[in-house]
Amino acid sequence: MPATTENNNQGSFLGRISIRRNQVMSMDGSHDQEMEDLELFQKHIGDRFSELLSSTSEDSSSSSSSSSSGDALLSIAWLRRLLDEFLCCEAEFKAVVLMGRDPSQITKPPLDKLLPDLLDRGVKSLDVCNAVTLGLDAVKNLQRLAEIAVAALEQTPLGDGQVRRAKKALSALVAAMLNDDSNAAAKGTERTRSFGRRAGNTNATKYKSLSWSMAKNWSAAKQIHAMMSNLTAPRGAESSGLAQPMYMMSTVLVFVMWTLVAAVPCQERNGLGTHFPLPRQLGWAQPMIGLQEKIAEEWKKKEKKGNVGLLEEMQRMDKLGQSLIEFADSFQFPTETERMDEVKKHVEELGDICKKMEEGLEPLQQQIREVFHRVVRSRTEFLLALDQAAKSTTPAL
Amino acid sequence: MSHNTSLLFFPHTQRNLPKTKRHLFPQPLSLSLSLSLSLSLSLSIFFLIMESLPLETAEKIILRWDSTASEEARDKMIFSGGGDRDEADLYLQAVDEIQRSLSSVSVSVSSDKVNSAIQIAMARLEDEFRNILISHTNPFDPSSEDEPSQTLDSLSTTSSPKHPLTNEETTEEESDSNHNTISTPLFRFNSDGAASSVRSSVNSVNSSSYRSTSSIREIDLIPSDAVYDLRCIAERMVSSGYLRECIQVYGSVRKSSVDASFRKLQIEKLSIGDVQRLEWEQLENKIRRWIRAAKVCVRTLFASEKKLCEQIFDGVGTSIDDACFMETVKGPAIQLFNFAEAISISRRSPEKLFKILDLHDALTDLMPDIDVVFDSKSSESIRVQAAEILSRLGEAARGILSEFENAVLREPSRVAVPGGTIHPLTRYVMNYISLISDYKVTLNELIVSKPSTGSRYSGDPGIPDMDLSEFEEKTPLDVHLIWIIVILQFNLDGKSKHYRDASLAHLFVMNNVHYIVQKVRGSPELREMIGDDYLKKLTGKFRQAATSYQRATWVRVLYCLRDEGLHVSGGFSSGVSKSALRERFKAFNAMFEEVHRTQAVWLIPDLQLREELRISISEKLIPAYRSFLGRFRSHIESGRHPENYIKYSVEDLEDAVLDFFEGIPVSQHLRRRAE
Repeated sequence: MPATTENNNQGSFLGRISIRRNQVMSMDGSHDQEMEDLELFQKHIGDRFSELLSSTSEDSSSSSSSSSSGDALLSIAWLRRLLDEFLCCEAEFKAVVLMGRDPSQITKPPLDKLLPDLLDRGVKSLDVCNAVTLGLDAVKNLQRLAEIAVAALEQTPLGDGQVRRAKKALSALVAAMLNDDSNAAAKGTERTRSFGRRAGNTNATKYKSLSWSMAKNWSAAKQIHAMMSNLTAPRGAESSGLAQPMYMMSTVLVFVMWTLVAAVPCQERNGLGTHFPLPRQLGWAQPMIGLQEKIAEEWKKKEKKGNVGLLEEMQRMDKLGQSLIEFADSFQFPTETERMDEVKKHVEELGDICKKMEEGLEPLQQQIREVFHRVVRSRTEFLLALDQAAKSTTPAL
Repeated sequence: MSHNTSLLFFPHTQRNLPKTKRHLFPQPLSLSLSLSLSLSLSLSIFFLIMESLPLETAEKIILRWDSTASEEARDKMIFSGGGDRDEADLYLQAVDEIQRSLSSVSVSVSSDKVNSAIQIAMARLEDEFRNILISHTNPFDPSSEDEPSQTLDSLSTTSSPKHPLTNEETTEEESDSNHNTISTPLFRFNSDGAASSVRSSVNSVNSSSYRSTSSIREIDLIPSDAVYDLRCIAERMVSSGYLRECIQVYGSVRKSSVDASFRKLQIEKLSIGDVQRLEWEQLENKIRRWIRAAKVCVRTLFASEKKLCEQIFDGVGTSIDDACFMETVKGPAIQLFNFAEAISISRRSPEKLFKILDLHDALTDLMPDIDVVFDSKSSESIRVQAAEILSRLGEAARGILSEFENAVLREPSRVAVPGGTIHPLTRYVMNYISLISDYKVTLNELIVSKPSTGSRYSGDPGIPDMDLSEFEEKTPLDVHLIWIIVILQFNLDGKSKHYRDASLAHLFVMNNVHYIVQKVRGSPELREMIGDDYLKKLTGKFRQAATSYQRATWVRVLYCLRDEGLHVSGGFSSGVSKSALRERFKAFNAMFEEVHRTQAVWLIPDLQLREELRISISEKLIPAYRSFLGRFRSHIESGRHPENYIKYSVEDLEDAVLDFFEGIPVSQHLRRRAE
């Protein structure tokens, strides 16, 4: 599947690089050309993320419908844009580093270390992609619980039974979004089973809403930390060569994966950390730093509550769920109209979120799959280039 | 709920008491009244005529089972699976009646009460639904597969019997022992299963459920009476708008059952990172196990889950069965395929080819079944993923083959093999090639382009030349095999230059090319793929090497035995220069001794080839020496110390030639002959 917001200038950019390099590489004046390509790549990364930053709507909490200015931070639509940017960066990166280049160039120090590190990060990101995809399946479960509540509370006139029904679903929804470690979630059905008969009606553990099928002991937080290791900006002479785009691509990859794990529930997010070192002195990293700070802020706000994911839709669901549970607890017929109007508004908003999830989760999953494919493909291409380089340095007999 | 109200519909329950010994309502029991009996009677008659309950009675039945209102209702289940269905039927009828009244306008007056009743009923049914599901979550037992032996057979045929790196003679046993270590737990597992085979109705194999076009073998995960109950409940939940609850409950219970089955099948959860870190040998075992597990999963486990969904939900609503099926198996299916995916993207290296092909073959076999089991729109992602993995495995196989070709071309060892015998590379490559021919069917599908070869294109002197036009009628795979042999020879030619002795270089080439020919001849598959034309070329090449060897070694030696230069011109006397003759004999003796000494330690491992070459040497050497000796012996023997010049009799030479190419020093030959 093609990236959805492929920039218009990208195609021509790629074409230009490869054509020019083919023309120029044979002569010796390629150095200036290369500098220009690197600067262009750097600029594009900066531009992409600064556009994302500036179009991120500030008001992420309540008024979702009025967000014509942009998508709310960490919303489904926003994540999809983030992944689009990633896919574009990735394509440009390959154009700069790999296309039309003599493979021996990527085996010279310091790339002999940087490239394997990047490929290793790539493999790690594949597991993150899988974990996040599974996490989004869990979000679909939350969506269904919310849909039950919406279906129940939409009834007019609203009866006791429907309120109870909604409350049951909402309690399960809110409980699932609490930071229960995955073990508790996994034990959910076992526990219900051992009761034999039903426990209390509102027992949320009946719903095994969040469960993952990742490897035992696999931790999203640890994975991200492992991706961050050895991630340091090139210095001195290195900073003008290919080490620079390697570092930029690594940073973008880590940033995107970190953001996904922050947003989407997945196995073991504890200890993810709100910051990782981004180079403050480098211009292209500034918008990323801005985004990171915004996300960190969100994280800190929700941290105490023990959240399972900062996904904007989930957060709003949580808030609405709490308030509707409150309403359900005090429900008695007839309710005063003012209260009823407020409930109606909340129900509508919850319905809107469900609709957004219904429309957005599947494409988001597909896009993550596309990221997965891309990382695999690039890895294969780089490994091939490395092998070729290894061969050409071994003298033929 | 008060006891007063329960009195009103109590009679019906009591009517059943003698039969079922139910104790739903211990307290009201004490109030056995004639009233209840008559009411019960009238109710029964009423059912017969109307097949429906009065709304009021229906409501009361619902309320009686409101688990939020009474202890008893909480502790008992309506669908207890005890065989008596009256209570359950009555309850379902009550729900139907309530639903009917909701949809009709006439009762709108009391709609609030009815509304409330339906919510209570739905909460109740949800719990009943869950309870039935939970009480039938026996994890799938692989031993219920009727053909364990077949599973093992197919396992052994797909495991590659030989490993190119090990000696071919031992590999057969080795893989057998491998096979045993893997299959032993399986056997134990099976016999255990058979011993404890209670064959509960849950696992009763529905042998009639074969599908003609595939190998899918469904079993009944839940007995049919329970399936019927589940369907009855599902129908009512869906028609009352409780579809989501239904899916939620169904998915959560069945998914944990599938998870348990996965544990029984020993399907591991490995991350892609884990798989990249593991040693390939470990992975080979895991691949073997995965293939077995994947077959059971797709053809039995997933297929049975799908069937169960259809049994319960088919016709209840639009594609509810699909939704429930995906809710149950999506996670497990992704987990299952994740391993194959991790293998498909692992680093490519030649030793991985055959296990990757095994995996590819297994997945190819499974694809039609995967397409059937995951045929719905909602399961498209699974289908797509399986297809992606398959194509990635194919790509990996192609990549590995070209990697292998490069490795053969560039294999850098520079140490000359002592004695000019067969190079380890030759053995490795030929074993590898014959394994490729074992996987001919698969590889012929995967390898669709001929090698891009030839120095005429690349201008690279490090790459051999090959004229592809000669092989136009050959498949791309065939041409790749020939190409591999070409580059192997190219590499060997390079290696032969490391021998100081040109004769030994020729012997080395002869030995190795002969080995290639023998390997190709020894396998009908390989022979067909390589083709007799190319085989003839190869045969010509080692014969040429044999000739070159003889020329390089023996022309010099035989030159000593020529007549020219021995006759003294102009004189009338004997006409033979004695001194020249003596020098000739001395030269011959020294040369032959040297050749004998060095070439006895050279080695031609193939007995027949060794014999042929010795005969060929003897055929030239012995007659020449015999005639030389015949002509000139008298000249030497008439002089002093003839033994200094005639060291060898013809028989001595014949014996000495037998020492050639044995790989043993002459001294040992002499010792052996002395004994």
